[in-house]
Amino acid sequence: MSTVDLTPVEGVELAPEGRLVSLGRVRGMGVFLAVLAVTTLVAFGFGVPSGEHAIFLLSGPPALNVSPLTMSVRWVAVALAIGCAALAALLLLRRSARGSYLIFSLGVVLFLWAFLAWAARGAALNLLQMLVGTLVYATPLVYGSLSGIMCERSGVVNIAIEGQFLAGAFLGAMIGSASGNLWLGVLAGAVAGGLFGALLAFLALRYGADQIIVGVVIVAFCTGLTNFLTEQVLTPDQSTLNSPQTFSPLAIPLLSKIPILGPVLFDQNVFLYGAAILLVMVHVALFKTRWGLRVRAVGEHPRAAETVGIHVLSVRYRNVILGGVIAGIGGASFTIGSIGEFSAGMTAGLGYVALAAMIFGRWRPFGALGAAVLFGFALSLQSYLAVLNVGIPSPFLSMAPYVITIAVVSGLVGRVRPPAADGVPYSRD
Amino acid sequence: MSTSDHGAHRKRSRAGLTTRVAAASAVVVAATAAVGFGAGSSFASAKATAHHRATASARSGRAKSHFLACEVTDTGGINDRSFNASAYQGLKVAAKAIPGLSYKYLQSNSTSEYAPNINTFIGEKCGIIITVGFDMAQATQTAAKAHPSQKFAIVDYSYSPAMKNVLGLVYHTNQDAFLGGYLAAAMSKSGKVGTFGGQDIPPVTIYMDGWVAGVRYYDKVNHAHVVALGWTPAKKRNFASGSFAGNGLFTNDFTNQALGKTDAQTLMAEGADVIFPVAGAVGLGAAAAVKQAGAGHYMEWVDTDGCVSAPQYCSLFITSVTKGIVASVSTAVEAAARGTFHGGNYNGTLANNGVSLSPFHTFAHKIPAKVKAALKTLKAKIIANKVSLDPNSYPAS
Repeated sequence: MSTVDLTPVEGVELAPEGRLVSLGRVRGMGVFLAVLAVTTLVAFGFGVPSGEHAIFLLSGPPALNVSPLTMSVRWVAVALAIGCAALAALLLLRRSARGSYLIFSLGVVLFLWAFLAWAARGAALNLLQMLVGTLVYATPLVYGSLSGIMCERSGVVNIAIEGQFLAGAFLGAMIGSASGNLWLGVLAGAVAGGLFGALLAFLALRYGADQIIVGVVIVAFCTGLTNFLTEQVLTPDQSTLNSPQTFSPLAIPLLSKIPILGPVLFDQNVFLYGAAILLVMVHVALFKTRWGLRVRAVGEHPRAAETVGIHVLSVRYRNVILGGVIAGIGGASFTIGSIGEFSAGMTAGLGYVALAAMIFGRWRPFGALGAAVLFGFALSLQSYLAVLNVGIPSPFLSMAPYVITIAVVSGLVGRVRPPAADGVPYSRD
Repeated sequence: MSTSDHGAHRKRSRAGLTTRVAAASAVVVAATAAVGFGAGSSFASAKATAHHRATASARSGRAKSHFLACEVTDTGGINDRSFNASAYQGLKVAAKAIPGLSYKYLQSNSTSEYAPNINTFIGEKCGIIITVGFDMAQATQTAAKAHPSQKFAIVDYSYSPAMKNVLGLVYHTNQDAFLGGYLAAAMSKSGKVGTFGGQDIPPVTIYMDGWVAGVRYYDKVNHAHVVALGWTPAKKRNFASGSFAGNGLFTNDFTNQALGKTDAQTLMAEGADVIFPVAGAVGLGAAAAVKQAGAGHYMEWVDTDGCVSAPQYCSLFITSVTKGIVASVSTAVEAAARGTFHGGNYNGTLANNGVSLSPFHTFAHKIPAKVKAALKTLKAKIIANKVSLDPNSYPAS
């Protein structure tokens, strides 16, 4: 029996942390940007009469007096097309892949700007509120994907996020309404999510049950349970049990006064701030602390972790329950953070979207944030395009969020690798 | 050490497979048991509830003649404050009128549950099955053809040719939505009003279409420039034969209230101050958004009187653009119970009170008398067919 040498484990990356971008992919991105540049020039530039103007409104309801941006659609498009083409050239001539994503993202932003100017021609687009909408959509997804990351990094698949959302939304609304204290509602949501996290952990870890099956069963159970209880308990007593107040936007002093960014980021619901704080916390905890290293070791190679004295099962228990708590808080945001009432099935499958965001984000908090924001932006964009009546048929607009997500994921994210021991039951003997 | 350890690991995991499968099945069995006991999976829970209802009404001792009326809800659920709830209300009304009539429902949590739910009820020998919603048209037709002696009524759909054992209940809601649009335009201070729908289907777009027509009519008659956002009727369409094609804002969902909230926020961000959601329970999200937006933002509710179905938001509702689901469903159920049921189609209109604007409640004193008088005249004109309900008949502002 040789003793296990710890040092290489400390140095080795346990998951694909660095983005290994091949130069081929960089070229692909360059070509794509070039196509965008040409599209911008032809469709938005010279496809529009030169006199057409578009207005971007930049002030939210608490008017911060940022004057609207008025621009000539054609000439803005031409300028942006040139910028986009320059970035495309930059990508095509590169010899190293480092920073390519940044250049590519910048190019896409230029394209979107031209597109929005085109869509808003002859009208006004409230750009600022569109960004606010993006974050509103993204918030529950961030909670859900952080929950997934907590579980899966320790090697347990959490398909049950949707169920934990529902449980958190239900109990959050009920307790928040009955007690009249919204913070108690948040706590109740966390407890509800945590309980179903514990159930998942118990069945998956104590009995080694198939985690996918347990997760699906928990979702079905939560759906049925909340439907049943809504009808039997909440509805007969709607005014006391299912009419919680909601958290109103909380402006952060000074920061909320920053033009444009202020109202978007710093005059929001507590759930958004909570998501931001959790995001940083989970990231730091997972990647910068001893605790995080242990969690990832358990998720990648539990036997190796066990041999160096880490108690695999207790790490997993703790993480899965914590994950449940996070999802439960996210669930509470549906009721006491938004609508002020629980209704059956109101989470509408967003728990699964969150799971997808986690995977697109490569099991990393900020990656998941990117995926959630992208999806949220696509949803928000779709809504504004429908109101501006850009002439795209509604069914196509409705598809847009999913098409954009698929395009980005297949084009940019590429192959992802889950933690090696994800979903594999562990037993010591 | 590591090689031998890996080998052992592999062997153990193979041996463990059977245990795992056994454990997994145990979990499923346990969960199913829990479902039977308490609530559980969506499908079974509805069944449990339904049974509860049935025994409850049987226990009430009114069971002289046994007649069972059954409702299959759409995905919005029984408590949607909208058409599912109204249809259920219709069953309750019928149960009061007819001794011995009991009723129950099954909730469809997804579109894939329509057919199984209908079949469950056929198996339970329901006297009449009410299917709620346009989306259930196909499932209802299939079941009705397979069981010609089973009576059905479907809300929001009419079959052509009509079927002998199905009563299609359709409502010409563009008539009262026209009045609603006129009123919204009259009440708007910002000069913009907005609507969105739950799904791009005729029973939804007929509301949006009539509403936009009402706004445009207001502009034409009063030389105003109120803009309706969220719905643009198609230029080329066959309005006379019932096409309500166009482009608009849709949540594509009847359960996700968060989408309703953000869609309402989109409309308000683009300047609208009166919002008309045509999305059942998802409209509650819009109400939350309008409430949050504060003073000067109002809305109109849809399908049912909002001050009755969602009283917490009553102060926001100028009016509700309703359709008489309760009355028509209860009439159909009572006819079936009395043996006078005939298949075919029912058309709700302003003339037969099948569609109507609800009372103004908190807005009774805020709506100018002039506007109220104009609405009255307009209603009479619509009944007399003297006003075009096609938005394309009027210039868009």
